[in-house]
Amino acid sequence: MSKLNFLKINGVELKSNLKFQTFLGLAAVLFLFRIFFYSADSLFWVIINELLVGLTFVSLYFYLLDLIHSKIVDPLALVMNVGIINALIFFLFTFSSVILGSLISKAESSNINHSLLYNLISFVFSMFILASAATIFLAFRELYFYRQKKNVSTYFNTMIVFFALASLSSFLSHDLKYLKDTFFIISVLLILINSIRISWIAFIVKKEKISLLVLSVIISILFFVNLVKSSNDNLYVQMLTAFSPSLNLFLKIVMTYGAIYFSILFFTTLFHIPTAEAFDRKAQEVNFLQYFSKLITESVDFKELTETVTDIAVKVCNAHASWIAWKEDDSFKSIANKHIGYYDSINLTKFIFENRLEKGSEQSFIIKLKRYLNRPQLSEEIYYLAAAPLKAHNEVKGYLIAARKSDIIFDDEDRNAMDTFSDYASVAIENSRLVEESIEKERLEKELDVAREIQRKILPAKNPEYKNLSISSVFIPAFEVGGDYYDFFEIDKSKFGFVIADVSGKGISAAFIMAEIKGIFESLSKTIESPKDILIKANEILERTLDRKSFVSAAYGVMDLVKETVTISRAGHCPVILIRNNIVENLRPSGIGLGLNFSEQFVNSLEEIEIKLHNNDVIVLYTDGITEAKNKELEDFGSAHFEKILVDNSGCDTDEISNRVMHEVSVFSQSHAQHDDITLVILKWKQKFNNDGEKEWQNSAPQLKTQVM
Amino acid sequence: MAEFSTSVKDAGDVNIIYLKGYLDAHTAPILENTFSNLVDSGRYSLVVNFRDLSYISSAGLGVFMAFIEKIRENNGDIKLSAMNDKVFNIFDLLGFPLLYEIYKEEDEAINKFSQIKKLENGK
Repeated sequence: MSKLNFLKINGVELKSNLKFQTFLGLAAVLFLFRIFFYSADSLFWVIINELLVGLTFVSLYFYLLDLIHSKIVDPLALVMNVGIINALIFFLFTFSSVILGSLISKAESSNINHSLLYNLISFVFSMFILASAATIFLAFRELYFYRQKKNVSTYFNTMIVFFALASLSSFLSHDLKYLKDTFFIISVLLILINSIRISWIAFIVKKEKISLLVLSVIISILFFVNLVKSSNDNLYVQMLTAFSPSLNLFLKIVMTYGAIYFSILFFTTLFHIPTAEAFDRKAQEVNFLQYFSKLITESVDFKELTETVTDIAVKVCNAHASWIAWKEDDSFKSIANKHIGYYDSINLTKFIFENRLEKGSEQSFIIKLKRYLNRPQLSEEIYYLAAAPLKAHNEVKGYLIAARKSDIIFDDEDRNAMDTFSDYASVAIENSRLVEESIEKERLEKELDVAREIQRKILPAKNPEYKNLSISSVFIPAFEVGGDYYDFFEIDKSKFGFVIADVSGKGISAAFIMAEIKGIFESLSKTIESPKDILIKANEILERTLDRKSFVSAAYGVMDLVKETVTISRAGHCPVILIRNNIVENLRPSGIGLGLNFSEQFVNSLEEIEIKLHNNDVIVLYTDGITEAKNKELEDFGSAHFEKILVDNSGCDTDEISNRVMHEVSVFSQSHAQHDDITLVILKWKQKFNNDGEKEWQNSAPQLKTQVM
Repeated sequence: MAEFSTSVKDAGDVNIIYLKGYLDAHTAPILENTFSNLVDSGRYSLVVNFRDLSYISSAGLGVFMAFIEKIRENNGDIKLSAMNDKVFNIFDLLGFPLLYEIYKEEDEAINKFSQIKKLENGK
């Protein structure tokens, strides 16, 4: 891309250079021609002379055109250039009589070939006029086309044709003089028509208009003076006419053009001055709104956006300060303060919206602060406030407020501007809030994904299998991970440990505690046999890491496959259910939840119970996700319901029992979202008749294979 | 969505906090706020009335744990009262009766505070 640009620039330069060289070449040819061939007596040589001058002019014109177009056109700069060149011509005309006269007389008095010197002087002088005329003409051309929306080149090109015709007919004999005059008059008429196209002055700001007014007076006077001077029969006019009558006439035409153009420019600018301020303001408003619409699509940061809103509000409403009164719950807070202290804005916001009718206004309004009692408390004098509502979904979310520190009231114009702008701002602010909300939601969902992933990895992948103990487990996570945990441990060849726990709270924090709990139980189960001692130790370890708000309910049990007993201890968890001969028994040894107390009280509270296992005993571990599952009326599934299903199905195998429970729970709570994890572990004891205590592991989870030392 | 709200009554040296609705992980910050306002203004003798509370989750229970230490350090206490059976069962399962005084009626809890006060004055 940059390389291409570079080439392009080079291309332009090459072309420009070529044009400049052509111009130099033609000028050199013209100069030599004047010395060696030119004779004013022969019409042939005169025509050749005019053609050469014309070609030189054209080549310079195109070179200058390239030069101007390589820069950004600024009408005021063009006007300045015209003025400077005009001033140069003026000085030349004023002092040339003296300088040229003395030069020529010196040349005549000396021995040098005075014809050569004269030629040189007249050539340099004429070339200067040629270049000046070309530049001024080009400037007019640029001003003519500047900010033109329609294609208006026909008028201008027609004018150029008549300029050329008038100029070239200037050397005609006196008999045909009327032809030259006709062309000249038509040219002047076309100049008048084309000089009206000066709509560009509407687009410049007031300050520039004023400077343009001054400039146009000076420049039009210069043009008039130069026009008069170039029409007199002076030494320099004689010299120029002798060099080329066409150039002389062209200079006159350009001077006429300038005199007319700048006179019209002066009056038009004069008439534009009174409306300049209003125009500037509208233009500024449009600019701000454009800038702001661009910003809406680029920026979604709420703070940045509100800062910009108040910043622009100050300018759009010609205010001194601005802030946004943002509705939060039922009160307003002040944000994005511009040029106003925080306490001032808070006080004024209170004044506007407390005990006043404007509280819910959907229209903009203006407030005089003269009667505001707490005015002396403000750190600055503030006379007027204008407020416009910021709405989203037809609800007022806040107000954009502008303040004036001078005694000039906000008028309808200011209020309209404020209304328009607050509409724009409402859309932008609502957009940014929506985007922020969705980002936050996405972040939370990501976080929950992580939590669920942790939980999934922590829970056992498979249930261990024994010859006379069948095990089933079901775990259904809630959307906001609930912190349920269960696990199985092989203690030694004849002992099997199990645990169920529920971490308080939800989400990622619960998931992390769960991971910690798993680590604690896994290591303790290998070294400590008594469930009570394991829970005591676990509580001790948790004291170091749990925050005060968090706790864990847990039940830990050990099954002795040889002695056919189960030992259970419970720390705040739901009771362990035993179903024997269709009778439910809630095993509820006392015990405080882990993390609730770290003193002797915890140790003392813990009980441990041992139960002799009977054939077909069913042991059920669960978390409150089952009993607290809710239906549409927000009623709990309940313990009684749960126990009934267990009893009714206690004759089935463990998978069947848990299927029945889960089915009933899902039917019960189908119209209410699951808000907590659900865990259900069912163990069923099958009496062995050749009681050798042998166990068989099939497809056991990896951790179950590790032997205890 | 289930709602939750608290209100606080000033009864001399004791403040009574009334809970209403569903106290879970989402509404727990409301209760936390109520507690920290009371504790920050030096109110350490607190009675919580559970009469209108329909549900409490583990996160709700955690709120009581968060403040009890500081309150007891300042010779205050949180006493719980007027729980329905369901809510009491949740507290009971976790062993809260060992850690907190739980009363059937709000008045009993308030009286307990004034008895202690009398004892202290008697010294």
